[in-house]
Parts: sequence; structure tokens; C-alpha cells
Amino acid sequence: MLEMTNVNLFINEKKLLENINLKINAGEVHVLMGKNGVGKSSIASSIMGNPNYKVEGSIKYDGQEITNLNIYERAKLGIYLLNQTPMQIEGVTNAEMLRIALSEKTGEAINILKFNKELESICTSLELDKSFIHREINVGASGGERKKVELLHMWMLKPSFIILDEIDSGLDVDALKIVAKSLKEYHEKYHPAILIITHSDTLINTFDNYFVHVLNDHQIVANGSKELAKEVLTKGFKRTSDTFVISEN
Amino acid sequence: MNKLLVSDIINLNDGIYSLGSKNGNLELVINGNVTIYLEDEEINNINLKLDENSNLFVYDFRNNCHDCHVKIEQNNNSKVHYNCSIQNNGNSNYQIDNNITGDNNESYLSVRTLSHKDDSKITINVKIDEKTKNNIALEDLKGIFDGGSVMIEPNIIALSNEVVANHLTTIGGVDKVSLYYLMSKGIQEFDAKKILLKGFIYSNMDEFIKNMGGDKNA
Repeated sequence: MLEMTNVNLFINEKKLLENINLKINAGEVHVLMGKNGVGKSSIASSIMGNPNYKVEGSIKYDGQEITNLNIYERAKLGIYLLNQTPMQIEGVTNAEMLRIALSEKTGEAINILKFNKELESICTSLELDKSFIHREINVGASGGERKKVELLHMWMLKPSFIILDEIDSGLDVDALKIVAKSLKEYHEKYHPAILIITHSDTLINTFDNYFVHVLNDHQIVANGSKELAKEVLTKGFKRTSDTFVISEN
Repeated sequence: MNKLLVSDIINLNDGIYSLGSKNGNLELVINGNVTIYLEDEEINNINLKLDENSNLFVYDFRNNCHDCHVKIEQNNNSKVHYNCSIQNNGNSNYQIDNNITGDNNESYLSVRTLSHKDDSKITINVKIDEKTKNNIALEDLKGIFDGGSVMIEPNIIALSNEVVANHLTTIGGVDKVSLYYLMSKGIQEFDAKKILLKGFIYSNMDEFIKNMGGDKNA
């Protein structure tokens, strides 16, 4: 599904990522861990196609080279980024944005009745007030509400590759449970590939199996399974010379 | 709602009015709770005098504005919410002078301007007289240039210490981050920009859209 080969990422000539190799197959859940500032969100940006970054190397999606595609073209292929701080857009409602995005995706006019029913049903399952449907995107919404709104978009747009960039940050216990439940349901229903960037285990424990990658000094320094995540979360990160080791402290 | 064409000084009492002008001038005395919708690009002089205990909402929406001068006079115990939204394809000059001469007044002036061509100039002058008390004056002025230029001049002259006065002014191009956000949802750049600009120009016109039975997506 997604294959990054020897990817280097730059912003204003500054190297953010070095020689990243990552392969994620359809339906798989991958977790990216690492200290603050090591470049985890930069990986998310490089996959989504943020134009502020310069990419060297190859990023392929379903066998297609996407390195030079813009954000819209990547989103059309089914790539979806859920940010830790979803932005607010004044004057544009969730319904309006989704209606346009869906009609561009399907090439057909939207059946408003069906569209509204689906939105209401998703709001109910996310425990999100239905008024959000016709509210401006994330304007005046709390951190938890914003994450739920992004999940509402995800359920409507039905992406096949989802990047979750620290969406668990700033969520209270109840909101986190709802978000995790929603993601698990979506994964079981549509089997997307998911890349989770996180510092905690609450979200990743939602999934039975997943792959773990540890990023340090802008490179992937360790790959493993959920055992690696457990070690990192209990013992922390430590990097010595060229080898990644789990800290004993 | 039927549009009322006005040529002389008129008194407006409690109610909602859609107004046009026969000669480009509007001279109104406001009494009570009044809401006015304007959608007449030919109006270039608007004089509003608020009686005591009056509460006025104005929605002035223009697709083009050459020159318009608005004067608002408040004496005691009045409140004005003046919302103006202008989309220009040529040179434009829109000025609001708001004089507050008494006590316990509130003035909220909100302007959005989008310039596709030439220069759009917005000048806002709020003056609060000396020895007045408990007045509030807030200016919320935003401009986007998209092919043209925008100049906004926000002025508040407060001659009294007992006033809450603030102004927010921003000018910029189409926000790239918002554009990329919408594109990341699968909306192509042209459409994303279109809905962002539409959203901006209608962002202080919610009541106007509702009451005119309009749809900003139409």
C-alpha cells in the first residue's frame, strides 16, 4: 500500500528526515514512536504532501509514485491525515466542506437526505452534538470536539490510509475512549492501513496487532512489534552512538 | 421580504427592514429594536441616528462598492452592530464614522473586504467624546487580497477614560494552511480557494443569509 524508500526530507535546506524506509500494507496498523522533535510529524507531512517540504527518494502508494503529487491528488487516492491540532476554518461548515469533497470524490451529486442521515448517525456514535454538522469547521470547538469532528470527516470520506498524528494528545479519558472505539470500528469495517504517531499506549492498545518503528535523530532506528512499544513506554528512549537501545532508567 | 426604497429622512421603529435608496442616500432615525438589510451597491451615503434605548443591527452586503460613507450617531443607551461585507473588482472606498456623544452605548463594527482588482480602502473612525461614561467600542476588520490590494485604517479616538475600546485588524492573502487543509480532504485547489473566500466574505453575514432566504453555496 505505502512504501517509502530512502526518503530524505528538507525544510529550507534543513534536513528533517534521513534515509527513511517504511512499508505499510493494506489493513496493517503501524506505530511510530520517538522523542519530541525527532521528525515524527515530518513523516506524516511527507506522506500527505505538505508543499513546504522538499522530498528526496521515493514514496509509492498502491504501486504508484506519489512523491510529486500534491495534497489533493494524494487525498483523492485515499490518504487522510488527522492532525493533533485540527485547524479552524471560519465561514465554512462541516456539511458544506464534506458535500464538496464527496461530490469531487464520486463525481456525482450528493443525495442530501442520505448525506444528512449518515452525518447524524456518525455524530451519535462519536457522542458529538449534531449541531456540529452545520457549524463552521472547528470554530469555537474544544480540543476533544475537534478530534471528533476530524473523525466525522474520516467516516464520511472513507480513506484507505490514515495517519493519526498524536490525536490522543490533550484528550480526556472519556473522549480518548470514544476516539479509540471509533477508530477500531472503522478499521474493522473498512480495513484501512493506519499509521499512528503517539507517545502513549491508550490508542495503540485498541488494536490487537501492530508494527512499531522508533524514530531518533531523524532516522528510523528500531523496528519491531508491540513488545518494542511496551519497552519504549516503560523504559523510555536512549540513543548511544549508532545503536538504538532501550534505556535502563 | 420586500425592499423599501427610501428618498427622504425616515424614522424606523421596531422591525426588520430591507432598504434601497432612490438617490443614493439613506438618512434614518432609529427607534427601538431595528434590523436593516442593505444590498444596494448604489447607496453611497448612509446616516444613522440612534435614539435612546435603541438597538440597531445593520447588514450591508456589496459585490462592488465605489464610494460609501456611513455616519453613525449614538447619544445615550444605544447599541449598534454594523456588519459590512464587500467584494470588489475595482477601486473602492468605504468609510464609517461613528460618533458616541453620551453614556452607556455599545458599538460593534465588523467589516470584511475581498479585493480581486485595484485598491480597496476601508477607513473606520470611532470617536468617544470626553466626559462620557460606560461606552464600548469594538472594531473587527479583516481584508483579503486576491488580485487586488487592501488598505484598512482603524481609528478609535477615546477622549474619555471610562470606555472599553478595542480593534482587531488583519490583512492577508488566501491562507495557505487553510487551503492545504481543505485540499487534504479531497477538494481541489480551485474549489478550496473558492469556498474559503466565500466563507470569508459571508463570515459576518449569518443573519443576512438566513433572513434573505439565501444560500451562500448557491
